[in-house]
Formats: sequence, C-alpha cells, structure tokens
Amino acid sequence: MRDETIREVEQFLYREARMLDNRQFHEWLELLTDDLRYWMPIRSNRYPVNSKAISILDGSRYEESEVSSENDLALMDEDKDSLTRRIDRLDSGMAWAEDPPSRTRHIITNIEVEAGDSQDELKVYSNFFMYRTRAETEQDFYIGSREDVLRRDNGQLRVASRKIVLDQTVLLAKNLSNFF
Amino acid sequence: MVADLKGLVDNDQGLLSRRIFIEEDIYQQELEQIFARCWLFLCHETQVPNPGDYFTTYMGEDPVLVVRDTAGRVNAFLNVCAHRGNKLCRADSGNAASFICAYHGWAYSNDGKLQAVPNLKDAYYDNLDQSKWGLAPVAQLDIYNGLVFATFDPDAPPLQDYLGDVKWYLDVFFNRREGGVEVVGGVHKWVAPCNWKLPADNFCGDGYHTGWSHLSAVQNGFGGEFRTSAAKGGKSVAPGNGHGILTIGPDEQSDPAVPEILAYEASIAEEVRKRMGPRLDLVKPHVGTLFPNFSMLRSVARVFRVWHPRGPGKTEIWNWVFVDKAAPPEVKAAFRLMALRAFGPSGGFEQDDMDNWQECTQTARGVVSRRHMTNISMGLGHESYDPDLLGWVSDYRITENNHRHFYSRWAEVMASDSWKNL
Repeated sequence: MRDETIREVEQFLYREARMLDNRQFHEWLELLTDDLRYWMPIRSNRYPVNSKAISILDGSRYEESEVSSENDLALMDEDKDSLTRRIDRLDSGMAWAEDPPSRTRHIITNIEVEAGDSQDELKVYSNFFMYRTRAETEQDFYIGSREDVLRRDNGQLRVASRKIVLDQTVLLAKNLSNFF
Repeated sequence: MVADLKGLVDNDQGLLSRRIFIEEDIYQQELEQIFARCWLFLCHETQVPNPGDYFTTYMGEDPVLVVRDTAGRVNAFLNVCAHRGNKLCRADSGNAASFICAYHGWAYSNDGKLQAVPNLKDAYYDNLDQSKWGLAPVAQLDIYNGLVFATFDPDAPPLQDYLGDVKWYLDVFFNRREGGVEVVGGVHKWVAPCNWKLPADNFCGDGYHTGWSHLSAVQNGFGGEFRTSAAKGGKSVAPGNGHGILTIGPDEQSDPAVPEILAYEASIAEEVRKRMGPRLDLVKPHVGTLFPNFSMLRSVARVFRVWHPRGPGKTEIWNWVFVDKAAPPEVKAAFRLMALRAFGPSGGFEQDDMDNWQECTQTARGVVSRRHMTNISMGLGHESYDPDLLGWVSDYRITENNHRHFYSRWAEVMASDSWKNL
C-alpha cells in the first residue's frame, strides 16, 4: 500500500472522528455511501475448543466465535436511511438520552490499510477508544475494533461498510446513543 | 426480616415511598423474599434445543446454569461448585457433557451429578459421598409456551397457578401460531444505574410515558406507523399475582410499518383470531410484566427481557428478540431488524428510557427527596373487575392501575412468610 494512500485514509478517519465529536452528524452522513451497512454485532463469552472446563457432548452444536453472526441479534444493524432517522431524531428536541448531549472523544488508532475487493475500494482496520461523558458525572468507555470498506467515488472516500466490535460482552454503559 | 415495610406502599392514595428504590436493607429483603421465592424466567427453550445445550443466567444475584441433560431433560442448578463455591461455568452458552471446576477440578455431568473428584482415593481416603455433593438444583422448574421458569422455593405454588389468568395473555405473545415462537440468536446485555422495579413497572403498566418519552422515536419511524389513539379502546389489565398487561384496541395496530410485517400480520389475523378466541375481539395485548422481573413487548418490537437486580441502584438488562416459528424467513429478518433498532441499548425507543429510570433512582439517594412519596395515583377508582378480560381493568387506557397492582403484590410478598397468605 502506498504511503500516500495510508496518509489519506488516516486523515479521512480522523476528520470523521472530529465531525462525530463536534456533533456534525448531518455532515458525517455525507461521508457514508448510500448502500452502507453499519453493523455492531454482539460479543459473548465462549470456551475455546481446547478448553478443559467442559467436555463437549455434541460437536455439531459447538460454536467458538465470540462475535454474533449476520442473522443473530446485534447492538446496531443500520443502513443509511436508519442512521439518517437516528440523526433526525436527535434534532427533535425530545431525544432524551442525548438531551443534554453526550460529550464524546473518539480516539482512532492502529490503522491498517489493505487493497479492497475492487479497484476503487480499500479495506481498513482500526481500533477505537470512545470516551463519553454526560451531565454531571456520567462516563462510559467504549473500546473496540472496526473493519471498514472505504470506497472512492469521484475522488472522495466514503464508508461503504463498517463492522464495529466492542470488547465488552455485558455493555457497561446504560445505552448506546452515539456513533462509532 | 430486616426492613420496616410500613407505609412504603399506600394504595388507597396511590403513593409509593422512594426508599424502596435505593435502600440496601430493603434490597436485601427483596433478594430473600422475592428473588429466592418467586418463579423467575431462565431462558427460552429454543436456546437449549439439543442434549448438552446450556445457557448461564441469574436468579436474582444467584448464578444459574440451565442445561438440557444427555437424556433430553431441561434442568437448572446453582452455577456454583459444591466444593468451595467457585463459579462453575463461565461461558454464556454452549454444549457440554460435563462441566469441570477451574479451581480443583471437580467434574459434574450435565444432569448435575458429581462425576469425578481429583485425589479422591489418596487425599479423601475414598471418604466423600459424591451423591451428596452434586450441583444444587432449583426447587421447581417448569416451561410455559417455551419459556423456562424456575423457583428456589419448594413451597411456591406450581407455575401454572403462579401465572394464573395472565396465561391467555402470554399465549397471545408466545403461542398465537402453531409451533409458538423462537428467539433470534444472542442476548442484549447491558447495565443501567436504576432500580430493577422501575423498568418492571414501566412495562407492567406505563402507557402514559409513550406519548412523551418516545414521541421522537414514533415521529422518526422507529416504530413504524404508531396508530394508537384513546378513542379506539385499549385497557390496562391486572390479571392478579402482580402481573400487568397493557392492551390496545382490537382494531388498532402498532406493528412496525414494514411492508413484509404488515402483510404477514394481515395474512395470519384470521388464524390468530381463531386460535386465541373471542377475547381478542376486545383487546390486543401489547406489553406487560410478569411479577417480579420478566417483561415482554409485541408492538414496535417483539422482545422479552429480564431485569436482573444488581444492588438497589443497578440493573442488568437482558433482552431477547422473538419471532413466530412459522413465519417465513424474510418476515423473521424484518422483525429482527425492527426490534434491534427500536429496543435494546441502542434502540430509538429504549435508549431514552434508561436515562429516565436512572434519574428516578439516583435522586432518591437524597434523604429529603426520599421523604417525598412518588405518585402512582392516576386513574384511582376508575377500574373494575372484568370477567371477560380475566382481570382488573381500567376505564381508560392511560392509568397507573397496573403499577398499584404490581406494588401491592410487592408489599405482600415482601411481608409474608408463607405462600398460604399470598
């Protein structure tokens, strides 16, 4: 991967994070393709296959993956339309989870850029640390990884797909009212 | 009993002491009197369909292992090693012939029997009666409409009696079509800084908050077209034993306005009407709570949940999404998507609820705030027993009748030492 492309991707992700922290949500939507899939699966605790804590009875029932699959429940499973409605709701003056609004800080790190499935796409891995504080003493830490497909259209990079995996299995925050 | 319960619940005036949401001694008494005695929800049968399938959960703060044994029977045990009290199974779900404690290696078969003890011959001199040191089972376990319930109390009435007249309402949620329901894989789990009773009473009877708390969700399409209105009927129903159900009018619908879902609901309406009987011409069950901490919703989302108590000021919420087993795959997919966008930690409806329940709990830390009673007087005197609906029914759909039934049961169970008096 060319350094220039890596730098471009980094700057894109940082700019996006700044928009989210500044609550420029409508501008953020412009950075997403119309066919976006924005997916945050659930994580659960599972014994690895070699664990001696259990002996498996029925191997065909064994699932090692901690991350829920496509048709399972998810914390979020959005398209551009549903994200737009979430953001429109924030403008209603009655979105109580965000009224008063959260103050967020997205720290984006560990960025890796690979070739995508097509000429105009890039596969991008990153880690995030999202700190949220709100009202007087509320604070939450949302930490995890992202797997993005970025697509170039008329010279402009956009997010075409984002998989967000939080590290917590029981979410230690009372809600998820922000974006990643 | 530790806590002085006098004056906490005043149903004549519809007043409730805020001490019950924050005081530690009252909470400890709830663990003893309510969570160690009442029937509590464990999991849905479709989560453990095959021999060896297990699911770990909690009854109150007690960790519980639900497992279908090799012979095919569903059992539940304290998820605690009988030796030193270590937590036995640390995975959320899976399949196992046996469970082995991480501390000293005591091994239990999936029917709870102690199977193997390291150093039994040399260190115990073969002098340990293994039949006495199996996993501690729940006192009673029963399944209704695929919902697996258990109680730690051998004297608790059978599940069917405990549910009583709420059973028809449960049928509408979970058995309206042949085959009942199944759950979508996975459970939403998250922690909210609120007392467990606030969400339980909200689902039990709070038709009041929807029009204000959730207006922004309704107007932005999170529940699709939400066409409920007062003129069209709908009642709050308290079928006894502290359970509460909210209904809408028979001709109303609050389903997500997704073409697949609306077409599906229209296509099965006649079949469901036949199966559920003429009561469905009077009311459409919509949301409810089974005392103490199981709630369900079948309007903008098809979900059920448990409010696990985690101290007076904290609740761990577990949320499942369910679908009719007989529904076609594209309809199941549509229900899954609409459910998780409306309910769960990110839900356009639910994310606002946790914020309100948190503040209703946390302001009660102030001793002066706590002196003021909370008001659940709405609709006092405007309810009557309706034999057709099998419960105490409100004159108007928006009321706090069900709250009063819920807290009146709470006070009875907290105070009584015997099920005979309940």
